[in-house]
Amino acid sequence: MNGKADPVAESLRGAARELVDAAITIQEAAAHATAALTDGALLRTLPRSPRAAHRAYRALLRATTNGRGLGYAFTGGGPATAVAKIGAMAGAESLAVHVLATSLRLRIAAVALDHPELTGDPMLTRLIGAAAADRDLEAVRALRALVKDRGAVRALSQLAPVFGEVLALRALLDENPLNDATAWLIATGRGFATADPITGMSNRAIAVRDTGEGAARRIDLPPEESARLSGRGSLLGFLANIGVIGTTGRILLQSVRGPDGVLRHVLQAPGMRAGRPDTDSPQDLLGAFSSAVLASSPYSRALAKAVADYGLPQGAELALVGHSAGGAAIMNLAQDAEFCARHTVTHAVSIGAPVDFKRPADPRTWVASVTNQHDIIPTLDGQGAGNCFDLHPDWYVVDYSDATHLFPTCHRIDRYLANLADDLPEAHDHIDERLAPYRGPVVRTQAYLLFDDPPDPEGFPFLSVPTHTVDGPAGPVELPIRCQDGGALTAYFAADPGAADALLKGTGFGPAVRVAGRALVAVHTAENRRTSSGGYHELHLGVVVPGPWPRRSLLLWPDLLRDAGRRRSGGFLVGSAVDTEAARAVAPLVWGDEPYLTPLGFRLTRRHAHVSVGDVLTLRGRLGPGLPVNDRDLVGYTRAAGTALRSCVRTHGPARLHPVPLLRLAVAPGSAHPLAGRLRDLGLDGARALLCLSATTRRTLVDAAVAVPSP
Amino acid sequence: MSAEHAEILRLDAHALTACAERLRELQERLEAEGVAPQWLRESVNAHVAACVEAAADLKAAAERLNR
Repeated sequence: MNGKADPVAESLRGAARELVDAAITIQEAAAHATAALTDGALLRTLPRSPRAAHRAYRALLRATTNGRGLGYAFTGGGPATAVAKIGAMAGAESLAVHVLATSLRLRIAAVALDHPELTGDPMLTRLIGAAAADRDLEAVRALRALVKDRGAVRALSQLAPVFGEVLALRALLDENPLNDATAWLIATGRGFATADPITGMSNRAIAVRDTGEGAARRIDLPPEESARLSGRGSLLGFLANIGVIGTTGRILLQSVRGPDGVLRHVLQAPGMRAGRPDTDSPQDLLGAFSSAVLASSPYSRALAKAVADYGLPQGAELALVGHSAGGAAIMNLAQDAEFCARHTVTHAVSIGAPVDFKRPADPRTWVASVTNQHDIIPTLDGQGAGNCFDLHPDWYVVDYSDATHLFPTCHRIDRYLANLADDLPEAHDHIDERLAPYRGPVVRTQAYLLFDDPPDPEGFPFLSVPTHTVDGPAGPVELPIRCQDGGALTAYFAADPGAADALLKGTGFGPAVRVAGRALVAVHTAENRRTSSGGYHELHLGVVVPGPWPRRSLLLWPDLLRDAGRRRSGGFLVGSAVDTEAARAVAPLVWGDEPYLTPLGFRLTRRHAHVSVGDVLTLRGRLGPGLPVNDRDLVGYTRAAGTALRSCVRTHGPARLHPVPLLRLAVAPGSAHPLAGRLRDLGLDGARALLCLSATTRRTLVDAAVAVPSP
Repeated sequence: MSAEHAEILRLDAHALTACAERLRELQERLEAEGVAPQWLRESVNAHVAACVEAAADLKAAAERLNR
């Protein structure tokens, strides 16, 4: 571990700071000279004393273009900016830029004292030297060689301590005028890097694309996660909690009873969620970017919504702890004056986050920032290990380096936690001491899922239907059963027609639909992961029939594709199985039959299916090529107590139709289960599916079976 | 108006002269401490010379504006 304690390094940083002051003085002089040169008042004196005015112009022009003096020094806005940009594109530089570049080189030299690996490595030395000497081609070649030799991740990690300085140097000295302002901000420490230092593309222009008022929904943590949460308030406990909930779009609010008996509250915010850069979560890449660049972001606004929902009393004391994008977001919350008027933000602890230019609204808020010098993320605001400015003397700043030197490992919350626990005892003790009012038992925990904007209710509009309660065999049941998240596989087989017709005999539904002289039989199996009746699996075996009143003109395949409301054909159920008591209890209401209760296994991917039903059957194999279609409704018929019943599963979601599946049904050898016997009778043991329909995610509505007049 | 510009440029000329002096002192201090990188002397010397030249340019411009 090391920091900025080296007195030589401190001396160099002090010199770099003085050079920044000199550069600013020179730049101001250049601006004044440019202003005099472009002032219309001087132009107006030309007719009265043309000779004097002409000499004055010449003197000003010399002052602003003398390569041995101010250099090419047009600056200060208006037409001067345009001229300055043209000059920059032509490679003309000013004295202020040269002085600032020397300041950045001194910063790099200071960092190199703390990081000997920077100067001991010829490839890094070559890159830094080329960037500092404005040798673009050489810098690109050096970077390419470094990446080729070490890989992009290692190259970036090794360069991390001087990343901001190298980029700023290059931006100052290159011919791109768009990145000059950012280079100035990085080099002078006067503000957040407003643009990408390489291309000059505006950071703000990208960040403002992250829109949303922010929203937070209460969620329950899975028991295994709840069990891992810290039971007492402490720095390491809060960081461990952030590690437990992970980068999943969730945050945590906890209440702790302090040593003085006062109830206080702690918000814990993790970093960026992996995946697509712009999702409905404020913890996506765009959200991380906007949290760092802007003073308020969807992430911080969602945090405020979570705190409001949590229900803190007016003025309640609140500590904010955040990692990575979460660190930037909690600092945005801390600098929200309205939020700080409602709550007393006592602490803001930022871990591995770019927060150098955030300012808490309440001056009493104690801020701690912990950053690893090889972690790129905290340097995204332009200030890293080479920073020579005391940007916030009232903060507790821990900027350290460990031996790992590897990004992104050094950015992970568990790495920061381990560093604080094992390698930075002084920092850990100090922050924990400041968090003393929060070091007590946790008395309440609530997790929230965050959104950019308030989300639709789950399943809206498909599952937004009126519900009613009916008496079932095992008590009242709410119908329809609404499945928010499920998957299904329906496989069609060619079965023994005699056996199929025998099963239909006396039901009024025969004969079975024929395909090339064989009876068409459907095996429908579904995984209902989250429903209004809990999670369960189910399997139904149905002989496909044209409907209660067969029509000669009915074209079966088109009919099977119709919505349930317009479909005549369906599967006459000759056997069903479910794997929960609750599902079995409700089955007579919705299917009209009594399913078997047996364990069911269901694994379905885009390519493969593996379904197992206790000791009855397996249905497994490759699904083969699939055509994208909408999931199809399911219609089933049964006959119970002399009445024909029609049941429907209405579906919503994407599905795939597999015309040539390699899916095979196998009855468990020696199984005495009645369903196994039925499958054997139908000749389906070992049968290959004719075609199948798979849906890995879908929503369903299942209402009560309806009696239809007996055929 | 020209007089105002002239006065500002005259002050800037003084500031740059002071700047040159500060940079010179900075170089001497770092060398005395033995912490100055090898390349620094050449850079600072160039900055000092440029500051002196720039101060002279600004002073000359201020005088021209005052006439």
